Amino acid sequence: MDANTIVDSLSSTFPEAISDATVKSDIRVTAYIDKDHVKEVCEYLKNDLDFNHLCCESGVDYILRNEFEVVYHIASYEHPVVLALKARLNRDDPVIESIVDVYWNANWYERETYELFGIMFKYHPNLKPLVLPEDLLGDWPLRKDYEGFPQKTAKNLV
Amino acid sequence: MDELEELESTEMLIHIGPQHPAQPGPFRLNLKVKGETVTDAQVELGFIHKGIEKILESKTYLQGIPIVDRMCYLAALTNEEAFCGCVEQLAGIEVPERAQYIRVITEELSRIQSHLLGFGEFSEFIGYQSMFMYTIKERENVLSLLDSITGARITHTFLKFGGVREDLPPGFKDKFTRTMEQLKITVLDEYERLLKSDTIYKDRTVGVGVLSPEVAKEVGVAGPVLRATGVPFDIRKDEPYLVYDDLDFKVCTQGEGDSYARIMVRLNEIRESIYIIEQALDQIPDGPIFPESAPYGKRTPTMRVPEGEVFKRVEDPRGEMGIYMVSDGSDKPYRVKVRGPAYPTLQALPPVLRGVYVADVNTIAGSMDGCTSEVDR
Repeated sequence: MDANTIVDSLSSTFPEAISDATVKSDIRVTAYIDKDHVKEVCEYLKNDLDFNHLCCESGVDYILRNEFEVVYHIASYEHPVVLALKARLNRDDPVIESIVDVYWNANWYERETYELFGIMFKYHPNLKPLVLPEDLLGDWPLRKDYEGFPQKTAKNLV
Repeated sequence: MDELEELESTEMLIHIGPQHPAQPGPFRLNLKVKGETVTDAQVELGFIHKGIEKILESKTYLQGIPIVDRMCYLAALTNEEAFCGCVEQLAGIEVPERAQYIRVITEELSRIQSHLLGFGEFSEFIGYQSMFMYTIKERENVLSLLDSITGARITHTFLKFGGVREDLPPGFKDKFTRTMEQLKITVLDEYERLLKSDTIYKDRTVGVGVLSPEVAKEVGVAGPVLRATGVPFDIRKDEPYLVYDDLDFKVCTQGEGDSYARIMVRLNEIRESIYIIEQALDQIPDGPIFPESAPYGKRTPTMRVPEGEVFKRVEDPRGEMGIYMVSDGSDKPYRVKVRGPAYPTLQALPPVLRGVYVADVNTIAGSMDGCTSEVDR
């Protein structure tokens, strides 16, 4: 399966949900996805296009556009194409549907994205901090407007 | 799945870690046991969270290289490869062929030493402590080889954007051949035979912690853990980077998916890595190790990287290492997301541990060869 087939298949199956699908190289495809259709697109990718390996799920804070992007890097054990699906979220109300039901290992990635960015994942089975201590929750350290040292770091020591 | 529900009256909760000699790093394993059987398991993380992704956002690209080293000191060179590969792709820097070969040589050496430590630690976890001493001794020889090229034993800071820092030292090939002859005799011959003929070792590893290929794909593991289930997935073959296309090597797989198979995959991979380096040393061309027209040089340590984003995958000793880098055109990365190989491996621990004996927990956790430092980043 090559990159062009994947782009065609995605855009024709989900004309409303997928936008700006581009082939970056033979093995890299990017596409923007509407945040309400993440789960059904992922189900289609997994069942019909052999994208059975979630490489990575991350958040990016575009503070100037007042947006978060949740980026899903979905790859496959059968073919070398890696698809980067990007969902834009409003920075004031970042909520997106969880894809744990589709990709089991999204669990930890979503917990980490939640605690570091404050992006809520709806219907996540266990949305609580993974790497941060509980009392740092709410600071969202990976956001670009995080105060950081020295205001936050020594909090536990005082 | 991660929650431990209320305990029944016949069940008990056991915490292993965060500090425990039989763990690759500080994480806490909460086991719910019924008699001798684990009924549920849960991993707690964050004891050595370093915030490397945030640190990288506040450092220039060049300053980032020593920091990615420290995500996992066993895989420092492959971490650097992923990081530098991202910047090279974004800035369009071509790596000279000689530098690519040197990178392959050092990264395969790093794979050998990582597998040796993984093998030794695993043997220690199952109570075979002398094997740990044996492999550590052999690993030290491999580290001196790396030391002679890079000038450091573990955190090398050896790669630069577009090339490498130093050329191979004179007489490296002879030194390599001598070390590897000894390694082949000791580790790959004697120690392997020692383990294969040991019935206690076999009882403790064969059929313990079995991952089926379907489950392994579902939980997203890669590297030796996945290859031990019979799936020939290797980034070096599937998405070739550097000069792996020109080198002949095979992807080592085993069919069983148990702890024994995972160790055998690692031992076979040491053989393949030696073979790869031998070919690389024969084929390595003369030439520069750093491009003449690089956008930065010795006197200008900062460089601006064009706007864009890239996701680069390399084959780490423990599996699939990926870095997602977003650049906004300044001299610092806008966002770096590290997808480490040990992350899914550790996440896969609870489902594998369900239903095994408490005594087998260390065998399974050791054979997975996780790295908490890299999971916590």
